Amino acid sequence: MGRAKRLVLVAVGVVAIVAAWQLIGTGEQRPAWTPVAEDAPVGDRRGALLDQVVFTLEQDPGRITDLIEGGAIQMFAQGITNATVFRRIRDSELVEYDIAYGSSAELTINPAGPTFNDGRLNPFHVPEIREALNWLVDRRYVAEELYGGLAVPRYLPINTAFPDYARLAEVARTLELRYRHDPERAHAVIESHMERLGARREAGFWTHDGIPIRVSVLIRTDDERRRVGDYISNLLEELGFRVERLYRAADEASRIWIAGDPMDGRWHVYTGGWVALLVNRDLAENLNYYYTPRGRPEPLWQTYEPDPELDTLAERLMRRDYASWDERQEMMARGIELAMQDSVRVWLTDQINILARHRNVSVAADLAGGVVASALWGYTLRYRDRVGGSATVGLTNLLTEPWNPIAGSNWVFDNMMMRGLTDSALLPDPFTGLFWPQRIESAEVAVQEDVPVIQTHDWLTVERVPEIAVPADAWVDWDVEEQRWITVGEKFPEGVTSRTRVRVRYEPEYLQRRWHDGTQYSLADLLLPWILTFERADPASPLFDAADAPSIEVFKRHFRGRRIVSTDPLVLEIYSDQIYPDAEWIANARTPDVAPWHTLAVAMRAEMQGELAFSSNKADRNQIGWMSMVAGPSLGILERHLQAARERHHLPFANVLRDYVRPGEIEARYAALAQWYAQRRHFWVDNGPFYLHSVHPVERTVVFRRFEDFPDPADKWLRFTEPRIPALDIGGPMVVRKGEAPAFEVDISFNGERYPVEDIERARYLLFDGRGQLVAEGDAEPVGDGRWVVALEAADVERLGVGASSLEVAVTSVHVALPTFASHGFAVVPAAPGGHRELTQNDG
Amino acid sequence: MTDSADKLAAPYAAPRSTGGLLTDIKRIATFTIMRLVALFVTVIIGVYLAILVANMGGQVDQLRIVQIESGIAERFRADPAFFDLPSEQRQALIDTQVQMEIERLRLDQPFIRRSVDYLVQAISLNLGRAEQLHSDAGSRQVRDIIVERLPATLLLFGTANFLIFFTSIFAALYLSRRYGSGLDRAVIGLAPSSAAPPWFYGIFLILIFAFLLGALPHGGMVDVPPPEGRLAYAASVLRHMILPVTAMFVASIFISIYSWRTFFLIHSSEDYVEMARAKGLPGRLIEQRYILRPTLPPIVTSFALSLIGLWSGAIITERVFNWPGVGTLLFQAIGQTDTPVIIGSVVIFAYLLALTVFLLDVVYAVLDPRVRLAGGAR
Repeated sequence: MGRAKRLVLVAVGVVAIVAAWQLIGTGEQRPAWTPVAEDAPVGDRRGALLDQVVFTLEQDPGRITDLIEGGAIQMFAQGITNATVFRRIRDSELVEYDIAYGSSAELTINPAGPTFNDGRLNPFHVPEIREALNWLVDRRYVAEELYGGLAVPRYLPINTAFPDYARLAEVARTLELRYRHDPERAHAVIESHMERLGARREAGFWTHDGIPIRVSVLIRTDDERRRVGDYISNLLEELGFRVERLYRAADEASRIWIAGDPMDGRWHVYTGGWVALLVNRDLAENLNYYYTPRGRPEPLWQTYEPDPELDTLAERLMRRDYASWDERQEMMARGIELAMQDSVRVWLTDQINILARHRNVSVAADLAGGVVASALWGYTLRYRDRVGGSATVGLTNLLTEPWNPIAGSNWVFDNMMMRGLTDSALLPDPFTGLFWPQRIESAEVAVQEDVPVIQTHDWLTVERVPEIAVPADAWVDWDVEEQRWITVGEKFPEGVTSRTRVRVRYEPEYLQRRWHDGTQYSLADLLLPWILTFERADPASPLFDAADAPSIEVFKRHFRGRRIVSTDPLVLEIYSDQIYPDAEWIANARTPDVAPWHTLAVAMRAEMQGELAFSSNKADRNQIGWMSMVAGPSLGILERHLQAARERHHLPFANVLRDYVRPGEIEARYAALAQWYAQRRHFWVDNGPFYLHSVHPVERTVVFRRFEDFPDPADKWLRFTEPRIPALDIGGPMVVRKGEAPAFEVDISFNGERYPVEDIERARYLLFDGRGQLVAEGDAEPVGDGRWVVALEAADVERLGVGASSLEVAVTSVHVALPTFASHGFAVVPAAPGGHRELTQNDG
Repeated sequence: MTDSADKLAAPYAAPRSTGGLLTDIKRIATFTIMRLVALFVTVIIGVYLAILVANMGGQVDQLRIVQIESGIAERFRADPAFFDLPSEQRQALIDTQVQMEIERLRLDQPFIRRSVDYLVQAISLNLGRAEQLHSDAGSRQVRDIIVERLPATLLLFGTANFLIFFTSIFAALYLSRRYGSGLDRAVIGLAPSSAAPPWFYGIFLILIFAFLLGALPHGGMVDVPPPEGRLAYAASVLRHMILPVTAMFVASIFISIYSWRTFFLIHSSEDYVEMARAKGLPGRLIEQRYILRPTLPPIVTSFALSLIGLWSGAIITERVFNWPGVGTLLFQAIGQTDTPVIIGSVVIFAYLLALTVFLLDVVYAVLDPRVRLAGGAR
């Protein structure tokens, strides 16, 4: 009894200590937050909306809700795909989330055959059997049950969240209906073709030459694809195949399906997955990549035998070999249709990534890549109820590789952080992927008449001209030996033309802006990175880096010249043969950004003297350090070179750059950098809304602070914190008599407010009969903001025939790439004897 | 003051002649050399086995080539700049990049040759460069990578191991004197609780003290962002150590006390201890001279091995508490098949183990007068 009392006393003591701890407030404080009706006004604040952002390592998504509720972090940048974790987030009162698309799941089919090397029959060599798998799988079940609602069905080789899907909405919808879940049809097609292959059913199982046909399903175990693999295996077993389930992690699986020879027959079906990190506006390359031997050199791709028409279309689309946008769309439509018939891949879902954050926090997240891919997070991350403050962001990895601006870490989380430190000339719209001007005022894009380009925004102009001659005084190359520009006149005495010309006009007083260390921009900041590009590509230069060869080679293939038209305001002309379907993308690709020449100069000295290297490859080849400008042993070396550069008033490529620096600039730059390093112990000087305050590598923490001299109003990009995805509601008759011309109302709204007519890019309708055949299509007509009408003609109704029919409406907004669909089912009945009757209107 | 143990030891402590001393020195030198050679050969075999296992006898090469090809192909595919390149040209560029990466990682050389290079480098403690990993600060030197993580591991696991070791020794001695008491029975009853690993308790401790009560940090080594003053930094580290140390302590203490207590109980029933008790010697003296002294070699061995055990950290515990230690590093190195880092960790562990075993041989001779070289007087 006495011992029991002692135990109780000990327990009470522990509780008392904990309570006392709580009372004296030693623990982490839980911030209270009262929901606000509207975001706090920004006032005349400039630059970032937070005073400080702290990045820290958090690798367990399972406790994100607790961490956010407890105030330890305010946002988790990694997308969450686990349904259990999502439910926890959804049930929390303090945690909200954004969604991002981009990841997708599919079944990769092994089409080798007709028999493998050991003589076994491969049923999936037959395109019709592969195609029938589309009817076999219930994608809605996969998305809603296996992925717990964190996915949407996907049928086609184009991502459902990207612009091409919206542009091809009617084709997509038609094909989706054609390939909707129909297990009876799948069974019938597969049975028929199996019999044609000489297979027989024995005791319920398919056999060939008396040997049971065994299908190996290679199942990834890393994520929900394990359940997908089991589901597919069950379906195949129901079809009469003996199924071998091979559960493998990523590395083990890749040895089988990528590295192995498909003719060995080690697998038939693989649960594949793909990731996209940004809104890709041109998916034309997908057909070539996923369906032709040109996609990849691995043995699997080399077994692909696409229909010649698909093969040709895929290659032309990849090369952008089309005369007009309409032609491209027709090619895409036909290519997708042929790809579905080929079906070496059976697409299943587009995954939804959950991006968790505190309710009091808002940020612009990319519709495809989430926060980690957002170029705008630094401009938009804020507390909703106040301006300023500090927020902590959890990342599953950071400082993964050394940071340097030339060939440093390319990991997504490192890149995300770097984007918050820099201020690009143009910034991508997180919802459409189109670029908006940030540091430029306008751009004039000129293209040759045969170049198919579309323009969406009005901040730039597009002009079509018969020929674009590159001026003789434009710089087209760099002479490493003589350290001088080579002009077009020198390199192409007979003259040269280009397919595009972009004239970029930077904002007024662009060159008056300042770097984080307080020094003022100069033209050398624009020119040195460009010279460095050429130097790194030339084996004669000590800065040569073979690892950079591909990108520089591609650049040189297209590049036709660049020249400075004026310096006040700064206007550049860039000539290139490289094109993109969107003029905004061409402008972005051609517009150069600046980099602080003085930090680059110090870094270049370290590389030229063989002490550090910008790239991992060069560092390893020369057995020297990969340069990190923010931490580690590189800093000591860079500090020494800063000292030397300062003493010698070093200006790289001085015979060219001396004309582009101000008097006293060299001394001022190095003095500022020395002071910056003394204060912050790193060399990362940039120009974004935040500056790099401190780096704590072992503690895995990085601290950003607001750059107070940032010029832009703090609310400049806030319109991108919420994607204005339209919500649809179709109203109309449930029963239509033949001979009538019914009208259906389509309400388009966002957050309960009517969607302005001018913000709707297109509202298409598709009319399907009971067999899923497309009967009619057209555009809905606006009758006011948020109110559109689909008016069918009596002939359309006549073609539907008697029975169930459906009206599908696809709406695309200028604000988001994601199309919205809605459908309305109705019945067509024979015409009433004796004339028309008023029919009951009902919301669908 | 004399006792039975002293009397037993007396004949072995007899002074030797000069010739006998020389013979002893010869024997000691021969023993030392033989022992060192044996340990060195063991280290070589152990490290080479680790090299073979880490590379699956060279089969990992194929996997890594696949990873390189896939990674580079995807990188090209994701970059719009390469979109309109003809397939053949794009493929040629990809092939060039793949070849460069293969050469960088020396995958174009036969594995057997690389494995010997790995072994020679490792044995000479030239740990070289990592293939994939970097230190948090950005260095690719294996030495920097390991040394960077070592202090965190030593601090956390050293503190916990010291606490567990000394607490359990003293508690065990105490309980061995109170065999059958309520406390003794309570410890025996709690011993099975050590079946659960530290991270298991860690999860509960985090849930209660970090998320429920908000009294202690949920993980990490220091506050976010780290305090700028040294004292504040140290205080923050201490606060962050409370939960992981507690988790490790709770997970090990009862079984450890139970083991040592049983060990001491066995030794407490030796004849010479009973004799000492019968002579009426004080309990503390009996503990120090008749129980602790003869049991020192296994205690020291256990202590030494637990110190070496610090080297490897604890992967899951470190991950649960977000502790930046060597365990997490090894996990990353294995995941990325970064052979130099794996071998670097193994070879240091092997050398430490060999050194410890060798030192223990010496320590045994000092602590236990019964231990003598073969051929010596007995």
